[in-house]
Amino acid sequence: MRVPLSWLTEYVDPGLSAEQLADVLTMGGLEVEAIERPTGGTRGVRVLEILDIAKIEGSDKLHLVHATDGDETWEVVAGASNFSAGDKVAGALPGAVLQGSFEVGRRKMFGHTSNGMLASARELGVGEDHSGIWVLDDNAPVGADVTELLDLDDPVLVLDVTPDRGYGLSLHGLARDISALTGAELRLPASQAPTGDPGVPVTIADPDRCRRFDARTIRGVSVRPSPAWLQRRLAAAGMRPVSGIVDATNAAMLETGNPIHAYDLALLTGPAIEVRVARAGERLTTLDGVERALSTDDLLICDAGGPIALAGVMGGEPTEINPSTSDVLLEVANFTPQTVLRTARRHGLHTEGSKRWERSVPPESAPLAATRCAQLITEVAGGSVVGGADHYPSPPARPVIRLRTQHARSRLGVDLDPSTQASLLERISCTVVPAGEDLDVTPPTYRPDLLVEADLHEEIVRVHGYARVPTRVPSSGQVGRRTPEHEARRAMRRMLAGGGWTEVMPFPFIADADIDALGLPDADRRRGTVPLVNPLSQEEAVLRTTLVPSLLRVLRHNVNRQRADVAVFEIGHVYLPPTEDDPGADGGPEQVTLPAEPQVLGLAACGAFEAARHDSPGRPADLHDLLGAVDLVRDAVGRAPVAVTPTDEAPYHPGRAARLALDGAELGTVGELHPRVAEAFEVPPRTLVGEVRLDALLDGGIRPRVAAVPSALPPIRFDVAVVVDEDVPAADVADAVSAGAGPALAECALFDVYRGPSVGEGRKSLAYRLRLEDPERQLTDADESAAIDGVAASVEARVGGMLRR
Amino acid sequence: MSHAEGGTTHATEPDRLRDEALQAIASARDLDELDEVRTRHLGKRSGLAALQRTLGQLDPDERRKRGQAINAARTALAEAEAARRAQLEAQRDQVQLAAEAIDVTLPPRTPARGRLHPVHETMEAMLDVLTGLGYRVAEGPEVETDWHNFDALNTPPDHPARSLQDTIYVHRLDGSTQLAEDGPTGVLLRTQTSPMRIRAMQSSQPPLYVAVPGRVYRSDTPDATHLPMFHQIEGLAVDTDLSFADLKGSLEVAAKALLGEDVALRFRPHFFPFTEPSCELDAFYAGRWMELLGAGMVHPNVLAAGGYDPDRYQGFAWGMGVDRMAMLRHDIADLRLFIENDLRFLQSL
Repeated sequence: MRVPLSWLTEYVDPGLSAEQLADVLTMGGLEVEAIERPTGGTRGVRVLEILDIAKIEGSDKLHLVHATDGDETWEVVAGASNFSAGDKVAGALPGAVLQGSFEVGRRKMFGHTSNGMLASARELGVGEDHSGIWVLDDNAPVGADVTELLDLDDPVLVLDVTPDRGYGLSLHGLARDISALTGAELRLPASQAPTGDPGVPVTIADPDRCRRFDARTIRGVSVRPSPAWLQRRLAAAGMRPVSGIVDATNAAMLETGNPIHAYDLALLTGPAIEVRVARAGERLTTLDGVERALSTDDLLICDAGGPIALAGVMGGEPTEINPSTSDVLLEVANFTPQTVLRTARRHGLHTEGSKRWERSVPPESAPLAATRCAQLITEVAGGSVVGGADHYPSPPARPVIRLRTQHARSRLGVDLDPSTQASLLERISCTVVPAGEDLDVTPPTYRPDLLVEADLHEEIVRVHGYARVPTRVPSSGQVGRRTPEHEARRAMRRMLAGGGWTEVMPFPFIADADIDALGLPDADRRRGTVPLVNPLSQEEAVLRTTLVPSLLRVLRHNVNRQRADVAVFEIGHVYLPPTEDDPGADGGPEQVTLPAEPQVLGLAACGAFEAARHDSPGRPADLHDLLGAVDLVRDAVGRAPVAVTPTDEAPYHPGRAARLALDGAELGTVGELHPRVAEAFEVPPRTLVGEVRLDALLDGGIRPRVAAVPSALPPIRFDVAVVVDEDVPAADVADAVSAGAGPALAECALFDVYRGPSVGEGRKSLAYRLRLEDPERQLTDADESAAIDGVAASVEARVGGMLRR
Repeated sequence: MSHAEGGTTHATEPDRLRDEALQAIASARDLDELDEVRTRHLGKRSGLAALQRTLGQLDPDERRKRGQAINAARTALAEAEAARRAQLEAQRDQVQLAAEAIDVTLPPRTPARGRLHPVHETMEAMLDVLTGLGYRVAEGPEVETDWHNFDALNTPPDHPARSLQDTIYVHRLDGSTQLAEDGPTGVLLRTQTSPMRIRAMQSSQPPLYVAVPGRVYRSDTPDATHLPMFHQIEGLAVDTDLSFADLKGSLEVAAKALLGEDVALRFRPHFFPFTEPSCELDAFYAGRWMELLGAGMVHPNVLAAGGYDPDRYQGFAWGMGVDRMAMLRHDIADLRLFIENDLRFLQSL
């Protein structure tokens, strides 16, 4: 809502600056987003009367104009010729400034001196019209300063009105609130019931949706532009001036909040009005020139021939005000919010009118809107009001709300006694009747939003002032904390960042084509994507079931920007069809099925994991960096190392991927992308990805660590080298070594892998450093020999290996 | 005469040897030379050692005197040698360490370093404040029912927020794919963390103090100030006597903890369907009032939807934007940086 200040202060004038008034409104719940001066800064422009116009020889468009300011005659060259002798125009004489920036001077054109210029509406900032000179109305006083005459420096308050405060979309409503909040006197015009000939008969076939219909007839109008002051105000309020009659309906709407429509009475069939829903197959061409097929849910205004307007949304083209209109039928009706909302949405027609209906317009505002509009029309378009009728079949009962004053005090935390509460409500025109300690409150008709006790609490504290409510910090009586799972996740994230992994945050949307590109098998659960009804794009059409595609997109984005070394992770949800073991959240009263939303760790890397330095070459990322990340994560939450086994599944390189498990439960996979998958996602060869379900690792939070007490007795250290077949996994060898070394084993670390002639073709040698410790007794050479013998026996039995001695 | 002469000769010989040795010590140019000097003048074959060996030939009185003189000379020489040795060692170290100097201005060596996402870190910082205020953190599903997201939060059936222009809907998982007339399916990506209010009330009894962090979604095209995915933290406090004054106090201390104790704040009336009275909290930041969060006293209808008796319990709730707070913390002007995942951006934080 754009509010020209001069217009608002006609109804209430608290004597405040625009900034102060904006503050009052904002702190009263009607937020002023900006104060603009759209026509400000114009100086030295005066009303001139055209004396004569002549074409300039040798020019197609230019005219030589003589105009007077009452004292002097000025010669001006004009490009337009949409005016004639006797017209009043805005003359920017030499030295004048337009909109604070453009200074007008003298110019020579085709041998004539132009003393300044004649201004268009756009040059004055009043409107968009630049097709000709702005012709002012006839009674503009010649020689007057246009800035003063049209109040061009008038500030405009730009309000963001919340959906509950429909009255904030009217000058009268705003004036009421300003009066309530400042105590300044309210000066609203009085309404008049229609008198005289009732005129066109009106039938309300659907009184549930059309609660009131005030129709007034005005005869003898002439259609012409409205006076400059009205055009200026409408433009400042954000509405395009059209003609005196249409402008009057808009102005009356801005003032009262009640949308109004004017019909050319001569074009109405009957004439008779019926308000009803559309019949199947009916069509209407609306004012915007679009022929619309109507829904049987659309409420219509019809004449005897059929639809003439979409109720509350837009009028019809065939009956619109046109240059030859002389008699007008004004429709000042009342429609319920839902009917207008549905029709506006269905036809994609959101108008100044529908915006107001959607926020509920009280039926009681119709007579004043009709009175004001009719009066404005006669003022700006001539004619006279010859009659009308106000159809209001069943005025709704006004609600009485019982306000428990003690409850209000308790909810607001302000010590306001019952009489103070009553007087605060009376300031917004509530009718208040005491009922013991409590109050029976009837809200004013302009506040249809006040329905329950809590609504009155807001009004009490709003008028009292939010700033005057004391502050108190309650004790929750409990220790605040995150859930153990949340703490565990945080520990994982920190550990990963410390280990060289950067956290990313892609959108959780992918395309089914991404799943295809990964080559996942048909039965894979990750193929059960949930499609969006209204996706942002086709590449983001479904909810992700895997983090991999979006991580690959992040990788590609960075590689394309010369960031070749990438190591990123995300901990986020995937959305999977629910199963018995993996259910979705409770679906509410209708038991709607919701997807399971497990937390997953996604990893992706390419390029160097260790960057090259002046003193060392870089090291490319490989599978073991991803396994390292998984190890950081399990270590962060105090779990034992995860079990790693090779896998040849999609989307991985069949020889460079691993499946992970914890205590027998599947965690996920990591590996190098299959070269064809890497190609499909346009990421570098040898790109690595991984995905680990976190439920098992997060469950129960971070496990407390159990201290290992170091032995005071010296340990024994020795190395063993185990020769095994090439295809024996290192983890199996390490297990065999550990098992054979006996109970005193404290550490077993692989320190060398060797292949060569001395171990034989198809064999490899794995060398381990072992440490034995026994806190109870001194270990001897005999213990070492026994351990080595044990390892030898164990590796032979478990992995078919032998010790190199 | 000869006795006297001999006596003089005997008395000065140690001193002469001492002076000669002191001279040699002083002129030793390095530790090797000093070692040599030491052997020559203090060793077994030195003049002093030879003199010592002649002591037995002297009479007791003479022997005592000369013995004292030799010992004095030895002590003096040992001290001089030690002092010279310390001096020469220091000289040697100086030269040697100077030769070992490295360029300390070369870049430091660190393990590969990652970064945490600024939005998540801001969220955690905000949760630190709320847990400090006694709130417990709870999380809820991102795919929600329209009942939890709208109906239970007192949102009218025709409310524009429910439209496809504002809300991202998903198809039903049970296979019934037919849409309502203008699109909504009853299943959506939550537009706010507020539906978790209902879930929290349904799962526990008052007093209830919960903070709900999470992702929320709107049908917005990304631009500098809008993303289709962003983050909120929802707070809910319900007990028998909580008031608007408690709301103001709690949010004031939380805002000051985040923005500094001196920050100017104002509570301004606003509208939300699920709170009444409602407000927004603004902070005066970088020369203008900036909206921090929306809040209000929980609407009785919402308490009832959560299974609480609105005549017995009352409380307040709020929802604050995390992404915007992260923009403030790191002086970021464009929200899209958060989702572009450019490492040059992420690793600068």
